[in-house]
Amino acid sequence: MDTLQDKGRYGFQHIGIPPCGYLDYLSAQLANVIVGNRIEAPIFELHFPASSFIFNEAHTICISGANFVPVLNDKSIALNTPIQVCKNDTLHFMQPLLGKTSYLSIKGNIDSSSWLNSKSDFSSQLKTNDQFNIIAWDGDNKINSDKTEEQESQQCNINEIQKHIFNSNEIRFIPGPQWNDLTNESISTILKQPFNTSLNSNRMGYTLKGPSLQLIEQKSYLSSTVTRGTMQLLPNGEVIVLMANHQTIGGYANIGQIILVDLPKLVQHKSDTPFRFSITNVETAHSEYKQMQKCFS
Amino acid sequence: MKITYDHLEHPLKKLLLMFQHIKTMTKKISNFNWKVQALGDHAIQFYLPEKMDPAMIGEIKYFHDFIFSLKLKEIKDIIPSYHTLTLIYDIELMHEPIEFANDLFERYKSQREIDLPNKEVNKIIEVPVCYDENFGIDLISMSTKLNLSINEIIKIHTENIYQVYCLGFMPGFAYMGDVNSKIQIARHPQPRKNVSAGSVGIAGAQTGIYPIHSPGGWQIIGRTPLKIFDKNPAILSKFKMGDAIKFYPITRAEFESLNQNEL
Repeated sequence: MDTLQDKGRYGFQHIGIPPCGYLDYLSAQLANVIVGNRIEAPIFELHFPASSFIFNEAHTICISGANFVPVLNDKSIALNTPIQVCKNDTLHFMQPLLGKTSYLSIKGNIDSSSWLNSKSDFSSQLKTNDQFNIIAWDGDNKINSDKTEEQESQQCNINEIQKHIFNSNEIRFIPGPQWNDLTNESISTILKQPFNTSLNSNRMGYTLKGPSLQLIEQKSYLSSTVTRGTMQLLPNGEVIVLMANHQTIGGYANIGQIILVDLPKLVQHKSDTPFRFSITNVETAHSEYKQMQKCFS
Repeated sequence: MKITYDHLEHPLKKLLLMFQHIKTMTKKISNFNWKVQALGDHAIQFYLPEKMDPAMIGEIKYFHDFIFSLKLKEIKDIIPSYHTLTLIYDIELMHEPIEFANDLFERYKSQREIDLPNKEVNKIIEVPVCYDENFGIDLISMSTKLNLSINEIIKIHTENIYQVYCLGFMPGFAYMGDVNSKIQIARHPQPRKNVSAGSVGIAGAQTGIYPIHSPGGWQIIGRTPLKIFDKNPAILSKFKMGDAIKFYPITRAEFESLNQNEL
């Protein structure tokens, strides 16, 4: 399922509207910065088998995130690099080599209707023969054309971001309101045993495969607010991690919250590679998030 | 301001959590014992005791409106639920979330002491419902399980004035209560794949309306012809937290003439 996404839609969760926005904000920001866009510019989010694109005019593009082996007119192209495309060039994605979610940025602003201050698709997805115009930013949002693409890429430490997302099997969380309702055995299990992502994963949530977790007593909770990264424990012992299109309130046990800077790791984690959970705190989560954002400034 | 760890029981958990600075603070404001906790790294959750209590709706709504009026740059969303009020914040603009929450508590407390909540009774929103068995697809089985006639179920459902506790599940879905205990019934163990827009359902003490076609597990007793959620930014949700709702029965013919939803 391929969609157009930006940083998401905030200010409407009190009436049940999910925030949406890119799943892997780091790769999306990276692809935008490399072509010289603002970090929160709208961008195409792709899942394998991904859409193919035909360009009707020359553009600068960049692909970041998952490596689906992008091919421009039968010639393989690099990720995380500005690529010049010409009129009638075609872009295909051949195989899911690394990661699960890929981003295609195009220099300029992708012309698409905005709803409640965001272009993020909520219920629709890209369809065959969809056409998008690339327009200039208006007013203050004008892209900075003084900088060359090379300078832009240098500012952004691509390796650091890539390593963070793809070379780590540790995903950190902060205990949630119902953490204390877990059995002691489940607490040691979650911190010691490996987990995997499952194929039952989409923009609403990722269901994990792993040891079954138990509450001290099975009880029902009054629904309360959940957010991106919330780890919900289902009655069958499975954990589901909420993603961009999540419901705004939920009634399952909230055992933890994956920190934002580590969510891209989970988003990109293939189901055949196990990962481990570890506990962190708000201070660490904030300092790492801010540290990573410096790569884009 | 007191930071307590007394809600933690197991020594391992206590050690872990103390080490990780999970703090819970309590503040008594106008007879409500508010607490606050960090919800991960980008949300703060204020909370009251975990119960469905119509008296808490006014307090949560009042706190919500107070925070909304401050137009704080750090805050991206202010989300009420039955017993919580959650603030989604921008990490880059937030310095110390618990200090921030404490400061909000103090400002709210001062405000609350000088400004009594609006006692005016909400205007009741009347909602027509067609309780035809073709729409109320669970009416017959409910009638058997509850040992009530369909007419009695309709009569009881339309007697109460319901309050909107909160919205969620999907855009515009309002959780309303409380349903008379005589017609309370658990949701289906397996949700239906498709529930029609406008369907009116019951789940335990809650009643609500599906704004759009969607999967759902509530027991369906009828359908409203009203459009509950409109994508038009000037309209959006028909209901908001704290609204008072009264259902009234209409015939199938009246439904057809009023219908605003796609069939």
